[in-house]
Amino acid sequence: MFNPWGQPVATAHPQPASVVVAGAGIIGSAAAYFLARRGLNVTVLDALAPAAEASGAADGAVSVASKRPGPLMQAALQGIALYRRLAGLDPDPGTGLQGDDAPLAGLFHPRSTFIVAASPTERAVLEAHAAALAQAGVAVAAIEPPAIQARFPALSAAACLVIEVRGDGHAIGYQVVRQLLAAARVPVLRGCPVTRLDIDAAGGRIRAVETPRGRIAADAFVFATGNGTAPLFGLQAVLTPRKGQLLITERDLALSRAMPGSIMSGRYLLSKGSQTRALDAGGEQASASAARGFGLVVDPLRTGQFLIGGTREDHGDKRETDLAAVSRILSDAVALVPGLAGVRLLRGFAGARTAVRDGLPLVGPLPGLANGFLATGFEGDGICLGPVTGAALADLVCGTAPALDLAPFAPSRFAELQAAA
Amino acid sequence: MRPDAPRKIERAMDVLVVGGGPAGMACASACARQGLSVTLVDQRASLGGAIFRQPVGGAAPVPQPASSRQRWRRLLADLTSAPGLDLRLETLFLGLEADGLALIEDRNAGRVLSLRPRALVLATGAVERILPRPGWTLPGVVTAGGLQVLMKETGRPPAGRVVLAGSGPLLLAVAAQMTGLGHPPLAILEAGDPLRRWSAGLALIAHPALLREAAGYLATLARARVPWHRGAVLRRIAAESEGEGETLVATWTDRRGASHSLAADRIALHDGLAENAFGLPEDAAASPRRPLVLRIGDCRAALGAPAAIADGTAAGERIAARLASPTGRQATDAETEPAALARHRAAQGHIARAFAPLAPVSPADLADDTVLCRCEGRTVGDLKRLLAEDEGLSPRELKLSGRFAMGACQGRFCAANTAALTSSLTGATTPFAPGAFTGQRWPIRPVPIAALAAPAPAPSLPDESQT
Amino acid sequence: MTRPTFFWMSRPIPFSDGESIAAALTAAGIVSLGRDPVGQSARYFCGIGACQACTVRVAGVPREACLTRAEAGARVEPLHPAPLHLVQGEPGDAA
Repeated sequence: MFNPWGQPVATAHPQPASVVVAGAGIIGSAAAYFLARRGLNVTVLDALAPAAEASGAADGAVSVASKRPGPLMQAALQGIALYRRLAGLDPDPGTGLQGDDAPLAGLFHPRSTFIVAASPTERAVLEAHAAALAQAGVAVAAIEPPAIQARFPALSAAACLVIEVRGDGHAIGYQVVRQLLAAARVPVLRGCPVTRLDIDAAGGRIRAVETPRGRIAADAFVFATGNGTAPLFGLQAVLTPRKGQLLITERDLALSRAMPGSIMSGRYLLSKGSQTRALDAGGEQASASAARGFGLVVDPLRTGQFLIGGTREDHGDKRETDLAAVSRILSDAVALVPGLAGVRLLRGFAGARTAVRDGLPLVGPLPGLANGFLATGFEGDGICLGPVTGAALADLVCGTAPALDLAPFAPSRFAELQAAA
Repeated sequence: MRPDAPRKIERAMDVLVVGGGPAGMACASACARQGLSVTLVDQRASLGGAIFRQPVGGAAPVPQPASSRQRWRRLLADLTSAPGLDLRLETLFLGLEADGLALIEDRNAGRVLSLRPRALVLATGAVERILPRPGWTLPGVVTAGGLQVLMKETGRPPAGRVVLAGSGPLLLAVAAQMTGLGHPPLAILEAGDPLRRWSAGLALIAHPALLREAAGYLATLARARVPWHRGAVLRRIAAESEGEGETLVATWTDRRGASHSLAADRIALHDGLAENAFGLPEDAAASPRRPLVLRIGDCRAALGAPAAIADGTAAGERIAARLASPTGRQATDAETEPAALARHRAAQGHIARAFAPLAPVSPADLADDTVLCRCEGRTVGDLKRLLAEDEGLSPRELKLSGRFAMGACQGRFCAANTAALTSSLTGATTPFAPGAFTGQRWPIRPVPIAALAAPAPAPSLPDESQT
Repeated sequence: MTRPTFFWMSRPIPFSDGESIAAALTAAGIVSLGRDPVGQSARYFCGIGACQACTVRVAGVPREACLTRAEAGARVEPLHPAPLHLVQGEPGDAA
């Protein structure tokens, strides 16, 4: 049996009863949640612990603001729509979800993203970008001086055009992970990396995964293993850990009240070809050379703190932050939000996203393995796309057609994966 | 420097000493005498650390034992005669960043500076242990050390009725100093009973200087009839309105379990001393990217000022030798600890045993609304609920989900208590380490963004037009 | 002899040269230094800049009152404008 994009799916076999989900980041947790809802017997493993890597060091944007028309924009729009349903903000249309519970109630916060232009060049690029968003059906509004000050009092007077992207939102990755796992009511094995696949080559199936805690057999296997994926499937040439540095300030409620949403510097739309968020723009440069990409996002969190990011870099210690980057990010932040100068930086942290060579994630069946599925490589979009991908994985495992068009993300597009089986 | 680096002052020196208390001063003097270029930073406007905090504005100094005054004079004389010392006051150490730069915040300039020392000496002293008790976060509740440094700074005793509670010799010292300034505390509530711990007391006979100091404090307190309740446990503090204002009420139990209460304006807590090593880089040999890192004095082992001076002086000589032969073998602490320190270590061990609480309060017995993490307002009950949901949570998950150790103090006052309570509630065979809740990332203290943002506009992208 | 003063909100607080803001506020009988967003009172506590509980705003910049010298004419105020409500559950962080 083949799915709509022509790949074999697990329905060649009876619907599986048991599933191992390797990786308790946001993708794996969402997959576990949707699989458990379908009554499957799910076991979640993680090499460390839930949200121990990128999902726990993410900026939490659930956003379409910097996307250009294409598969990632479509996925982001569906991702946001699913967040709204899971948070109980929109009615459940009854597809994919049963029941009326809202596992992410209180964890997804709708808020606009404001893209700011501070120069004529930025303005021109931002106008074109806003037109593209509008054409794709995204609700956008252009704000110009003097209305900017009324709508966004914290913003610098240098802002000459602000595009408000409505419908975006924010969710803290590790909170979503924790809540999805709790709602799934499935066992989570911490400190349990998959070290090897036990493959029945003749049958084209995975029999079990081997871990330091023993061999774990199941009917189906989902690998949402982030940067652990490359060594497991020999994808070193396809996947790259891409470091990001992020900063957290202490609380400043007065300034927070003057920021109706997150801001993103329009400067970074200037770098061409980016499919991903503005935060990640400049990445092509970054991967092509030793240079790093900088973006600027300032997100007012519900605590009154500010999350400020970030970088995109393929070198250096993945956990450490450096003065040059932090200083540069903060300078950019103060230039757009002058009030931040009087707020204190509380801590900085870094994490490594999983980036794919061609900029699109890997989601779909593992070629040659009828009961194996892969989902990784979301780079900066994991929080936004986590739930919608988890729902799609549950469909794949159960042999039903996912709502999300996975064709552009098919792992089979890489020859390296053909050899994995 | 990276091409995207903002213009920062990057200054190189042989040794950066963090902390101008006894260990740091002694080490800076010793290093300078060895011909090394030394920068000494301290967060305050004057040297001396907590132990030798000097009075300001011409106030009279708080009465101190003669031996202590002598040590201070000697330290200061050594430091002022040391050649070529770069002293930077009101300057905080923020940590080592990814490229091995030591970051300091110059509060007068309002700037973060980056330094590239060959050796980084951490001499940040000790910090008081404070156990959580209901009401410990109320205004008017201070640490005994906090009360003491205010006295030393102003030469004035704290106003109003003062109760000192917890455990340890510092309670006696503070009470005696208050008495010396003409304002004795209402009472000392001491959880231990050193008078009954015969063996530990007898062992201290080998340390006559300490016994003399203790006897001096006790004599002062006896003359002023300050009650020293031993085996007394402060159970909770409440704020009650009294006339126009508010007063604190301390409820405590004696060794027989009978409950008493005391009304006070100030309650000073102290449950022992610990190394103030929070967030500091670990000791490490020099590498191409990072300096030699060495912790000295109380921040390595809280053994008191005489030990800290000995440690600082010895460390200065050791650093000179190591910088002279950077490829030399990395000596371990055990090999290099001065012999004098072993004596101080033994004495502190005896003191700890002498003051061991008679009936330690298990953190699990605390009322659910007891605040564990003041910065984020997280309680004992919050932690219990979290662990009831999932006992398998890792420290990092507990931290992120419970927001313990995520506030402005970065866990300095809650990480140890949260770790202890978690261990107690989960029956963990290996106790949780406080460090599991925290990290070693800069900034180790909150720092104004203005001090970190580059003075010049950040370099522009190639295809960007400047406005 | 008149001593220099700084302002705690609008109230003049006398201090001696070199004295910390915390010492001067304490001497003036000011114990509560405002209320923070999670409902705790700011207050002098550890005296060594570790607990952050005495952080106030000095000329607009957050500073620990125990570490910061008082300066004549300085405007010192609570870190957070009151009253504030409790919000919990934020930001991301790698251990």
